[in-house]
Amino acid sequence: MDRRAIGNGHLWGLGMTELVRLTDITKVYQGGVTGALNGVSLTVEEGEFTAVMGPSGSGKSTLLNLVAGLDRPSSGSVMVAGADLGRMGEAALARFRRDRVGFVFQFFHLLPNLTALENVLVPAQLRSNTSAESRGRELLKQLGIEEIADRYPAKLSGGQQQRVAIARALINRPTLLLADEPTGALDTRSGDQVMDLLMQLHRQGQTILLVTHDAKLATRYAARVISVLDGRIVDDARLETAERAAVDVIRVRGEETRR
Amino acid sequence: MIAILVKALADLRRRRLQAAVIFLTVLLAIGTGTMALTLMTQTRDPYQTAFAKQKGAHLQVFFDGATDRQALASTPSLIGASAFGGPYASTTIEFQHGNRKFSLDTFGRDNPGGDVEVLKITAGHWPASDDEIVLTRSFAELNGIAVGDRLKVVSVAQKPILVVAAEVIDIDEGSADLSSQHAWASSSAIPGLTPSTPHSSFYKMDYRFAGDPSSSQLAGYVDRLKSSLPPGSVGGSVNYLLIRNVFNITNQILTSVLVAFSVFALLATAAIVANLVTGIVISSYREIGIMKAIGFTPPQVVAVFVLQILAPVLAACLLGIPAGAVASQPLLANSSHALGLAYEPSFSVGLGLLALAGALILVGLAATLPALRAGLLKPIVVLASATAPRGASGRWLRRLARRVRLPQAIVLGIGDAFARPLRSGLTLLAIIVGVVTVTVAIGVPRSFETINNSETGAGNVQVVVTRSDGYPDSEVMRILNAQPETARVVAGTGRNVDVPGIGDPVNSRVLRGDSSHLGFLLVAGRWFSAPGEVLAPKALLHDANLKIGDSFTATANGKPLQLRVVGEVYDVSNLGHELFMDWSTFAQVSPDLSPFIYYVSLRRGANVSDYVRRVAAAEPDFIDVGPTHTSIIAPVKIIDSVLVIIAIVLGLIAVGGVFNTLLLNTRERVRDTATLKAVGMSPRQVLVMVAASAGLLALLGGLVATPLGVALNRVLLDVISSSAGNDTPPSAYAAFSPLELVTILLLAVAVAVGAALIPGRWAARTNVVEVLHSE
Repeated sequence: MDRRAIGNGHLWGLGMTELVRLTDITKVYQGGVTGALNGVSLTVEEGEFTAVMGPSGSGKSTLLNLVAGLDRPSSGSVMVAGADLGRMGEAALARFRRDRVGFVFQFFHLLPNLTALENVLVPAQLRSNTSAESRGRELLKQLGIEEIADRYPAKLSGGQQQRVAIARALINRPTLLLADEPTGALDTRSGDQVMDLLMQLHRQGQTILLVTHDAKLATRYAARVISVLDGRIVDDARLETAERAAVDVIRVRGEETRR
Repeated sequence: MIAILVKALADLRRRRLQAAVIFLTVLLAIGTGTMALTLMTQTRDPYQTAFAKQKGAHLQVFFDGATDRQALASTPSLIGASAFGGPYASTTIEFQHGNRKFSLDTFGRDNPGGDVEVLKITAGHWPASDDEIVLTRSFAELNGIAVGDRLKVVSVAQKPILVVAAEVIDIDEGSADLSSQHAWASSSAIPGLTPSTPHSSFYKMDYRFAGDPSSSQLAGYVDRLKSSLPPGSVGGSVNYLLIRNVFNITNQILTSVLVAFSVFALLATAAIVANLVTGIVISSYREIGIMKAIGFTPPQVVAVFVLQILAPVLAACLLGIPAGAVASQPLLANSSHALGLAYEPSFSVGLGLLALAGALILVGLAATLPALRAGLLKPIVVLASATAPRGASGRWLRRLARRVRLPQAIVLGIGDAFARPLRSGLTLLAIIVGVVTVTVAIGVPRSFETINNSETGAGNVQVVVTRSDGYPDSEVMRILNAQPETARVVAGTGRNVDVPGIGDPVNSRVLRGDSSHLGFLLVAGRWFSAPGEVLAPKALLHDANLKIGDSFTATANGKPLQLRVVGEVYDVSNLGHELFMDWSTFAQVSPDLSPFIYYVSLRRGANVSDYVRRVAAAEPDFIDVGPTHTSIIAPVKIIDSVLVIIAIVLGLIAVGGVFNTLLLNTRERVRDTATLKAVGMSPRQVLVMVAASAGLLALLGGLVATPLGVALNRVLLDVISSSAGNDTPPSAYAAFSPLELVTILLLAVAVAVGAALIPGRWAARTNVVEVLHSE
């Protein structure tokens, strides 16, 4: 094992269960000439913190949507936590998203006429869990925003809103936490705070699959960085192997960005 | 201007569903309004038109058969009549048609024309021989008698056969289902049709005066006749005002009801339009910002919104106004038919333009006021603004719903119902209007039925028997009491009584037996229980300046009659100028009084048809027996039908309002719906959420509207009763049971939830990826 991986506290190691398996996934949107995803296959192990990185239009968000069951592939199969999403109807996918997956969006997508706490509790209440309030408050406390429980989203900063969104994603103890550009709408400081939180959750055992266009962010927090370009995986780097340096990862993206 | 039109039409194409809702609601509202306006303007006192055309008699007076004809011939100049008809030798004939028997006053007249009371022949020809008879068209239609039918006269020993030679319209008579009718035969036929019993012949004179004499003037003329002729010569009189008022009441009620509910319909439509435009403005903030940024002035921005609303409104008016005018024609035709006027379809272009202008102005205002908001917004503000409502609206409702442990989808839906308070308020208004109207449309006919049953004795009296003159009353009673099913017999007759303060003689129902169970509706006080006690409807009490407990001296048969008012009763005969008294009261001035009608109550379980057959067989010639007629009279049927139509119209408008609101809400909150789906809300839960929103609005609207509808029911009944000279009896108000009111409420909720299906399914099918990633 790479010392950097251990030093960063990543939990990747031997004996992990496979949580996500994408097999030969293709996604073509109506009217599209080329696919958003073209023959993508990958697995994600339980306990991993994986970043999917790529430029705009590379297919990274599409990949995340497929894993979340928000979209269906044109071909190929998506298995998450042992469930074949292709065999599920809309109602089953909704239950899957509610019970097994937590989703954090770039623009938070909080419900504007619910308080912060009410937003957090929505997924629990959708499964008729009427005693989730204490867990909701606990999550807000854990995320450092317990004092804003009764405020409405319009009265919260971006960072606070994103923390509320993270709490909402965690309320039902999901197997997998998905984050689509979670810092995209935040300033640098708030973004760092959110990423620190995600890191902390990962250390506590949460499996995280994160999408970002920010290579620095990906390599700083994730133990594994999958690079996507034009609907294909062009690289899959685990920091513990020390096969690729961060700068190499950046170069694969096609940018001349330097640390 | 072109830019405004291009933008407005493009927006209209994008909002086809909402345009359809506006089109439909305006179509219904303007159609109803046009119908009301057409009736109002085209039926203004149609009776007066027909009366002038047919030279109606302002006053008809009946004289004893022994009165000198020369003296009668001088009466027109005595009272200053400008024209007269008669004296017509007359008698009352009883005849058989099929298995039915009838009794009609029959006048001897040799031609239908003349200077007064021109009879308009609608079928057949005037009698050319003594074995022919003329009936009113109304009577013939009501009883299924046609020209050429043979009638067997049973009131004279020879039992002659009369052939129906003609049907006529007599402007001096009301319709057969509301008032007694007359017949005509040749003057030479009358002696052969007159029974040999005393006082079986009489004379009729018709008088016409210059101008329109008032009721008091006409009463004065009758008094002058009485004072100038030998006592007992003047038997009774009828003045044209009563007939005119009875005729006009139906039209007035109909028109008032239509106008009132048309106003409701237009207000509800205006509320829906205001809601729609508010919603469009809110959902178009970004567009408004762009429009202003590229150079649209505030008035031009407003014009874009108003024009896209006025387009479907104009289309709806162009269809709805002619439709409303066409829909009013059957009512106009019915009115003309009843008066014997030739029906001519009528439509006023001016009225149509007035309706169009009114609709455009009202709806235009409803659209302009919220659109002004768009015009006043600053570009930078609207470009940056979100569209979905923010903040605490609905929070307390959600808390309440959560406390009672409702499922989360319902909790969220309930909270959303008032996310936009103004929109919800306007939607509630549309729902309230709809539910109130449906409640009234159910309640008023039921109340009418209660009143109708009291008039016909339905439920209390199963059989009605009438006796021919000359056949003993005792025989009738013997036959009836001999039947084992007979539980009770109340005999009755009608006699004229002069009441102080009332110009015309008042018809009095004189009843023998336990008449308190006949079913007449008591408004106040009690039924009579001793000689001298009487009841009267409100109109008579008011006009005679009497109240319950008052005593007064009436005159009957030229003799004083001491009477005391013990109760107020509901009765529309003669527009509330009737008296009700016991046999023992009138017998004081008329010892030889005998009944002509018998109301028979049967024991429970008796077979009415068998009973009727058996009694008829006991005396086929001199008594007519039949089951109680309980059918609703034609004017009431018309009012009931119109109310049902109005209820359907306003119910549809209310549904349109709910549908429109849900459509606005679901489209406005599409991102929230996508978020909810992303965090695990199933499509069914989304549908339930939208339906819950609709259900709550309908529940609240129904809770307000149901008691309002009951109250409006009472108001309408009071107006209608008052126009017929009565107070509404308390039992007529009780049109609903508590369970039925709850059912109306639940139906409103069910219909609203049904209206939520389309917007709900649209929301349930929201593509999460498309919505949430289209930033």
